[in-house]
Amino acid sequence: MAEVKSMFREVLPKQGQLSVEDVTTMVLCKPKLLPLKSLTLEKLEKMQQAAQDTIRQQETAEKEDQQIAH
Amino acid sequence: MSQATMGSEMEPLFRAWSYFRRRKFQLCADLCTQMLEKSPYDQAAWILKARALTEMVYIDEIDVDQEGIAEMILDENAIAQVPRPGTSLKLPGTTQTGGPSQAVRPITQAGRPITGFLRPSTQSGRPGTMEQAIKTPRTAYTARPVTSSSGRFVRLGTASMLTSPDGPFINLSRLNLTKYSQKPKLAKALFEYIFHHENDVKMALDLASLSTEHSQYKDWWWKVQIGKCYYRLGMYREAEKQFKSALKQQEMVDTFLYLAKVYIILDQPVTALNLFKQGLDKFPGEVTLLCGIARIYEEMNNSSSAAEYYKEVLKQDNTHVEAIACIGSNHFYSDQPEVALRFYRRLLQMGVYNCQLFNNLGLCCFYAQQYDMTLTSFERALSLAEDEEEAADVWYNLGHIAVGIGDTNLAHQCFRLALVHNNHHAEAYNNLAVLEMRKGHIEQARALLQTASSLAPHMYEPHFNFATVSDKIGDLQRSYVAAQKSEAAFPEHVDTQHLLKQLKQHFAML
Repeated sequence: MAEVKSMFREVLPKQGQLSVEDVTTMVLCKPKLLPLKSLTLEKLEKMQQAAQDTIRQQETAEKEDQQIAH
Repeated sequence: MSQATMGSEMEPLFRAWSYFRRRKFQLCADLCTQMLEKSPYDQAAWILKARALTEMVYIDEIDVDQEGIAEMILDENAIAQVPRPGTSLKLPGTTQTGGPSQAVRPITQAGRPITGFLRPSTQSGRPGTMEQAIKTPRTAYTARPVTSSSGRFVRLGTASMLTSPDGPFINLSRLNLTKYSQKPKLAKALFEYIFHHENDVKMALDLASLSTEHSQYKDWWWKVQIGKCYYRLGMYREAEKQFKSALKQQEMVDTFLYLAKVYIILDQPVTALNLFKQGLDKFPGEVTLLCGIARIYEEMNNSSSAAEYYKEVLKQDNTHVEAIACIGSNHFYSDQPEVALRFYRRLLQMGVYNCQLFNNLGLCCFYAQQYDMTLTSFERALSLAEDEEEAADVWYNLGHIAVGIGDTNLAHQCFRLALVHNNHHAEAYNNLAVLEMRKGHIEQARALLQTASSLAPHMYEPHFNFATVSDKIGDLQRSYVAAQKSEAAFPEHVDTQHLLKQLKQHFAML
């Protein structure tokens, strides 16, 4: 019996990640399902974008007018 | 015969009406403007133009519920400052009933599990401090909060005025409201114009009170409108009175919903639930009422009851996007990605086609072991991403796929790309730190973890990881402080408790 036992030797992998019980590992944040947007929210965002665009356009137009005047 | 010649033969008012019915509001308004130039006192054209302009910016008032910082911090409407558990939306029960734990399902800043559907009011978990209030994202993406709830409406209002070069269509300050209140049909259209298009709530309230007086308080519609104005002005108790009185006269689904909205802002979810159930007695199987109940349960962290009611919603209306999305995300986070996949595929069949859906499909496919569809879904999601934040989230999730297949280099690149798109992506910082740690770069990992924990103090992962790393290099004091923060964020986390116990033993030995 003793002879048979000596044939097997313990193998510990040295490369790669080794998982051992009772050792605290770091945790990853979990994958995130993205929430779908409601129609109202989409419309609100679209309207706000459009509003900002018009305001920006008018501001640049005003600036150009002022530059021409100077 | 071309359309143009046929159109020119048509009576202008009739053509404008046709535009209105086909929802071509800009064309309708332009045509009405031409008609009004010819005959300024044409009431039909005037009212049609007002309605067209209203429809252009109309949003369902029931869904709109944006709380600004001012409203959240200076809130004096809540009845109890320290409410009993299960009776308040502010303090959702710490023990989640039926839902997956925080270790599986990410949470929002307010401490709720993330939801499958986003409404204007979804994110309104009230922060405790000013600092938190400023940091709380108002939509899913933009980190910048609105300073007061009226801010957005005012901006929209000014923009709509800017677009018409000769000033506003109706000069509100010169209106004789008493005169208009005598003509009920005109008054209703005018009210909606003032309320939705001009966003002048005070003026709208004046008109509504004059009109309700003229109708001798017999018209429930005006009472609901007065209630809406009071709600916008923050006078919730007055709004409640108006809605209740309207309900006495005529029971309408809308009125139930408005009244429930008042109770929710007064932080009385149980009253709101009872009201919804009362409404369901009158209108059995009404989808909006069922959905309202489900939303409240979801906000109170009772996801099993919420799922039950969302299923009830689907029995009545099997194309309800919100219900499908919420049930889908519930299944995903309770370890049934293959069931979630069926729900999201259903949404795809129904014609929802956006970045979020493909991202979710990709994740479900991967975890349900349908690898052939995973990467194509994510490619689609990336090509459909509308802004930087969306792209960042997709890259972040792709990073998980890379971690899953063991390709750490790809994972590293994905999380980096997530950070390129959105510099405030705390989860990506945390995961990057874990990867750095695997490579043995301790200092880099610590720096990344510190960034992550300052960006998102509500997440337990960065605190816990920082505690682990500090513990490894022997910085026990910092490790203890971080572990305590982690425990505060997630009290049931076993590894944190374990670490704390170990550290306490260390300190006792000194």
